[in-house]
Amino acid sequence: MTDYIRIELLRMLRNKRYVIFVVAFPVAFYLVFSGIYGGEVAAGGLSGKAYFMVSMSAYGALAASLMSTAVPWAQERGSGWLRQLQITPLSGWKIITTKLVASMLLVLPAILLVCAAAVLVQGVSLPPGRWLGLLAAMWLGVAPFAALGLTIGSLLPPDTAQPVSMIGMFGLALLGGLWIPLEVMPEGMRSVARVLPSAEYAGMGRGIVAGDGLPAGDALAVVVWAAVLGVIAILAYRRATARA
Amino acid sequence: MNAIAFADVSRRYGDVLAVDGLDLTVEAGRTVALLGPNGAGKSTSINMLLGLLRPTRGRIEVFGHSPDEAVARGEVGAMLQSGELIPELTVRELVAFVRRLYPSPLGLDEVLEMADLTGLAGRRAAKLSGGQTQRVRFALAIAGAPRLLVLDEPTAAMDVESRLRFWEAMRSYAEGGRTVLFATHYLQEADENSDRVIVVAGGRVVADGTAAEIKAGAGGHTVRFTLGGQAAAGLEALPGVSAVEISAGTATLRTADPDATVAALYRGTTLEVRDLRIDGADLEDAFLSLVQESR
Repeated sequence: MTDYIRIELLRMLRNKRYVIFVVAFPVAFYLVFSGIYGGEVAAGGLSGKAYFMVSMSAYGALAASLMSTAVPWAQERGSGWLRQLQITPLSGWKIITTKLVASMLLVLPAILLVCAAAVLVQGVSLPPGRWLGLLAAMWLGVAPFAALGLTIGSLLPPDTAQPVSMIGMFGLALLGGLWIPLEVMPEGMRSVARVLPSAEYAGMGRGIVAGDGLPAGDALAVVVWAAVLGVIAILAYRRATARA
Repeated sequence: MNAIAFADVSRRYGDVLAVDGLDLTVEAGRTVALLGPNGAGKSTSINMLLGLLRPTRGRIEVFGHSPDEAVARGEVGAMLQSGELIPELTVRELVAFVRRLYPSPLGLDEVLEMADLTGLAGRRAAKLSGGQTQRVRFALAIAGAPRLLVLDEPTAAMDVESRLRFWEAMRSYAEGGRTVLFATHYLQEADENSDRVIVVAGGRVVADGTAAEIKAGAGGHTVRFTLGGQAAAGLEALPGVSAVEISAGTATLRTADPDATVAALYRGTTLEVRDLRIDGADLEDAFLSLVQESR
């Protein structure tokens, strides 16, 4: 299975769309936003440059997890590559586990590069414990989005999976307060944001950076989302790969 | 030991019975062609053999196991009718990945060599031509050294030169006791590359044997002559004759024994026989007559 994970990583790292959307965009946006708002103090006492570090690594991870799952998976089902794998000794559960693990690994460049830009360009500094907590929360907390991407890829053909995953990505990022801070959103949008996993996902990171530890409410919500979307992803996968 | 056994296998899609009570066995070590027109049920049978489709009725065994078990044990490799590769990966990466999924694969260089891919090993799949992609798909099918190799119309996208090279590669893989089953609707391919031809039409086996046996079984030879305005009565009673056809003043007799038929035609009738021609049936005639009979 490590071979399979390795080729999944290799192909995405060679995919220009992945590299641009997922690696270059979040870093570029971080530099722009932190350049403009870096000196201000956001809600919760975070500096603008630390606040946007969390927001943009959350956005990058969200984008990476959806983009490395939905469309590639829909394409593999449609193009015959899945059938090619199904007639080898590779078992069905290894295929979906690999997809999930590879997707979780593919979010790391976005998170690490945004944090590196924050440190190197904006001089953000945190105690080592908070760095570790932040990276762990941003990494593991992406699980609901990877599950969502696999669900989209299992249920839709590639030409619909593409726009649906894009809408999902921008919707979750925008309404989850990754682009516009929740505090400055109109009340209507804010009530939508509160029920989206993306707001709670970024909330975990902000709590840790602010030194308040992992916010229990946000963490619980992300775990519940991961469990629910994970079950849906498995059901959708079984439906997509059922031998008729 | 049988490599493949279908016992009364049927497969229905809605109202259409694609495979209708298929019974067949293939001994290990044989190279067998599954020959039939489009829609005969070849691909459905192959997909059931690989565990990609479930039979509506009946039982399939591959080396004594269910298709799923045989696939999981790495005993089967296949080239399906269509299928794209992962565009960002190179030929070498794809072949290396698939071969390592099997318990005792061929060597990587050996596979590349057999599929004539040595010079393309570093090329990404996105940059391959149609024929090159087919060669990679063949390489993926043999990479795991499966005991049973299944090929579903493998040469459909190839030019003449590539076809010859492809069948050469297939034969060298089959050497040493491996079993190969390939589907085709090209008669010549079946004739030249298999040691047994199973003709399917309408989801059923309509003939099964060597190419020579199938030719002989389907009426063998034809005797033609110009009849003009003479009466045709009595021709069907001549020795060996199985069918008589008269059109535009020409009589065509299908016969299993052309010598006896011609002798009787001259000695036993008063007809004036002109322009006599005797032809051996080729596989094409045999195939067409079999497929038509099954309708």
